[in-house]
Formats: sequence, structure tokens, C-alpha cells
Amino acid sequence: MRVTVNIISAAKVYATKNIEDLEEKRIVPNMLLRRRLTRNAKIMLYLCDKCGFSGGKVVYASAFGELQSTAAITDDILKNIPISPTLFQNSVYNSAPSYFSLLYGDKDEIITISSGNKSSSDALKIAALQALVSGERVLCVATECLDIDKIEEVNSCTKYLESGAAIVLEVTKESKGAKEIQNIKEDGILRSLHEIINVVNMSAMGDKKIFIDL
Amino acid sequence: MKAFINYYESLSCAGNTDALMDAVYSGKSAISLDNSYIKERFVGIGKMKGDDFFHSLEDVVTQVLKKSNLENYHNTLLIVGSSVGGMQESEKHYFQDKNYKNIDPAKHGIGVIQEYLQKQFHFLDTRSLSTACTSSANALLLAKRMINVGAYQNILVLGADALCYTTACGFSSLGILSSKACKPFDKNREGMNVAEAVASLLIQDTKNENSIELIGVGASSDAYHMTNPDPEAKGAIASMKKALEDAGLKPNDIDYINAHGTGTIANDAVEALAIETLFHATDAGVSSTKAITGHTLGAAGALEAIISCEVIKHQKIPLQAGLENQENQNINILKKSVQKNVRYVLSNSFAFGGNNTSLVFGTVL
Repeated sequence: MRVTVNIISAAKVYATKNIEDLEEKRIVPNMLLRRRLTRNAKIMLYLCDKCGFSGGKVVYASAFGELQSTAAITDDILKNIPISPTLFQNSVYNSAPSYFSLLYGDKDEIITISSGNKSSSDALKIAALQALVSGERVLCVATECLDIDKIEEVNSCTKYLESGAAIVLEVTKESKGAKEIQNIKEDGILRSLHEIINVVNMSAMGDKKIFIDL
Repeated sequence: MKAFINYYESLSCAGNTDALMDAVYSGKSAISLDNSYIKERFVGIGKMKGDDFFHSLEDVVTQVLKKSNLENYHNTLLIVGSSVGGMQESEKHYFQDKNYKNIDPAKHGIGVIQEYLQKQFHFLDTRSLSTACTSSANALLLAKRMINVGAYQNILVLGADALCYTTACGFSSLGILSSKACKPFDKNREGMNVAEAVASLLIQDTKNENSIELIGVGASSDAYHMTNPDPEAKGAIASMKKALEDAGLKPNDIDYINAHGTGTIANDAVEALAIETLFHATDAGVSSTKAITGHTLGAAGALEAIISCEVIKHQKIPLQAGLENQENQNINILKKSVQKNVRYVLSNSFAFGGNNTSLVFGTVL
């Protein structure tokens, strides 16, 4: 089943190591909350801010989830060190959108997709479904943070250890001028982000109406 | 299109679905005491029989196919709900090697389950969700919506999580693991039991003589705290209200509530308040089957959906196992299993991040 969606807003960000200025102090003025944020959460909040989205249904995607927290937990278990409760609460795949919900008081539905290399592709399909069923604008956002010690032992996938992209979409019945998603991503981006980066790049080039197959 | 649950199977510490329902109705917990994950003390753990998680996945999915009207899964969408995915494999390599060199990134994440099953069964397409303990409940929510809009005819929902050190030690760090089988809704409850399970349901747009309808779905976020539920229970109330509204039902239509009921102090008090608030004027029976299975995390929504379907088929509401001193006296928790006309069942799943999902199952009229 195919639907047509309008891209209302779009943003992307990536860096070979740490993304330097995610404007956390401005976006999250509450210091207690800000100090608990994971890197995925900080990137997601930055992208939401760029997209002007502060409430509604969220579809979040990440192939590797909260790698920094899970790596630290397994290391603590290996060393027989007690695990920090904050580390554990931050280890779930839906941590980043949950922090979004806390920051903005958003009580709407949150879905987190983790489908390996096709995570952002599947997230776009689920976001389109959520928009179709609700008739509302939906945030689709994907992030990956692989910046952990010794990541070079396993990373042959990407040159960008932190990356993310987001779009706000709505379903339209008007398909005139809509395009298939084009393959116009940058080299070196993690495969799980390819599809959403393609859509963000299309939007930047003026193609703001696309087809998504549910 | 309506969404009909036509075939299902599960494997948990209580065994397959038939063995599980025997345990649910007799109140016999399948939790065992274990100190292999938490070295300093024994805790109650729900461990599946069988030595390989991926063989269990394949076995359960094969059993559903054999029961079904399908020759294969080539025209079926697979939606997986899991909270840990391949974590147990990554842990094994890291604890042995003390480095990441033998960890395959493709086998670390949630996606490893769909990729394994796709190689075996060649599904039409796959999706994987991970919203912690609501993962497979949300898979069911999306499956209903996909069937409703006519996007797919056949959807196999799979809830699957294996025991691993990260979850066992993580919940221990929160101080919420019980040293024995958990006692949901009891005044003297200690906490939860971490457990593992595989549960799978084939949802189709056509019904048969054994169909149960997935009639309503609802979800919400607490926007309150990462691990503690909103003490006013607004999020839990909202997800149940939305599911009832989606089903076109009122609270007094519900005959049985399969509660999230983890056995933790915080969850059970808040969930009981939510049920009391919404169902105070009804005689809906309430119990948590986690006293039998433990908390199977990302698999819980699918496993308890199967229990909900079985309750409708047996026309029998299960007792609350382990209950001695009921804390909230204003909800109808049953001390004995009761034969009753059961038309509609509501099942709750709540998760870290304040993620709430409620599902309503009904007899096919």
C-alpha cells in the first residue's frame, strides 16, 4: 500500500567523532534533566528543535540503540562493579524519545524501530502509517552514536560515529509532483540512516512530496 | 478491515501455550531460584527449557505456520518486538575475550531476530520494534492498524527476549528483583522476576471458527520519569481509555483485565489505581500472569495477548497466583479461577520511559 507524504520540515547532523554543539543548554535548560541525557537523546532533541517539533506522535529509529550505556554496563558486569541505575535506565532503545517526552511533556504515542540496516527505512513506513491513521503530523527521527572506547575493533560500517536525521511528515491525498525516494545520501553514513538522510536531502533540494510504501 | 488473531504459540518458563494455561489456571508458578546472573544472592528467574534461543524462535514460528492456513510466510509481514535482541551473544563474546573483536555488529541489535527468521522463512517483509517492555504490545498495536488500513493481509507478530546479564543485573541495580516468585498486587510483594519467552501470533484480515478479534489498541506516554510510573496513573488510564475507545467499548464491557502487574511496589500500586479509577463500577476480574511466567520484558505483550485469547476461548478467568494480602481492595482480583462468560479482555503493558500500551481482545460476533 502506497501513501503520499508532505515533508513539513527536515534536519540532519553528523560528525566523525562527537558532534560539537548540540545546543543542550538552550534546548534543555533544566540541568538535572540535561545531565542525564544520552548522546542519542541530545542529538534527537537538537534535530527536533531544528524541525520545530515539540509534541505529537514520534517514530524513532536506531539500529544500535544506546551503545554507550550498554557497553558501560557489560564492562561493569565483567569487572564486578555495581551498575548505576541511571546507566541501566538509559540503556533501553527508547531512551532518546522518552527524554523528548519528558522535556516537552509529550503524552502521545512513541514507537521505536530497530531493524538493523533498514531501521530508518522502516521508521519512515511506520511514521507514514501513524500519520495516515491519526491524520496528524508525525516526527520521524533516527540517530546512531557509536563513539565508545575501542569501537575500531568492530566498526567497519561508517566514518561518522555520531549521526542523525529527522523529518516531520503528514499524509496527503494529492500525489501530483510526488517522487520516489532518491539515492542521494553522503558517502560514509551508517546504512541504518540511509533512507531518512535521502529524504532530508531531497527536502533540501525542494522535493517535499514523496511516496512511501507501507 | 478487521484484525483477527487466528493462530498462535508460545514458549516460556511454563512451557508451551497448553502447559502455560494449565499453570495459569492452577496458579502454579514456573519461576525458579537462580544465582547465575546475580552472584551475591538468589533471585526468582523465569528460564525457558531448551538450550538455544534462536532454535526456540524457529520452533515457535514453525509451529504457528503448521497450525495456520498458510503454506509459507511469503505473503506475511513479520513484526518483531524485543528489548534486548542479540545482547546475550555480545555479552558472551565480551566476557570471554574482554574486547569487541569477535562481536558481529549485525548480531548485536534487535534486528538480529528478524534477520535470522527472514533467512529461514522468507517473509514478505519485516519490521522490528524496541520500546523496552511494551515492544511486542506495540508490535500488535501496529499490526492491527496495518490490517485496518488494508496494507497487509497476514502479519506475524513475534515477541522474543532471552535472559541476559544486562537486564538481570540492571533490574537488580534498581533494587526491584524478588528473591522468590513475584506476588503482584500483594501488600508484601518484593519485586519482579526477570524472565524470557518467545510468543507469536498470526493476525489476518479474514476470520475462521477459532478467531479472536484484536478489537482495540491504545498507547500513551507518561512524560513523568524514565523508570517510575506517574503516581496519578494518568498515562496508564489514558492508554486503557484509548484502547476502549478504539474498540467502541465502555469499561463495563470488559470481563477480564490481564494486568501488567510486575510485582514491583511502584507499578502495581499505580496500575491498581488506574484500574480502580476506570473500572470501579464494573466487575471486571483482574490478575497478573507474571506470577506464573515472570516478566518476559519485550515478549510480555505478545505472551499475554496469547493468554488473553486463551481466556476468551476457555471462558475462564485466571486467579491471581501468589496473592495473600491484597493491597488495593477496590479492584476485583480473583483468588480462584472462575468460569464465566468472557466476551472482552483488556491487556496492559507498561515500559521504561513511561511508554504505555493497552490492547482489547474480543469474541468474534
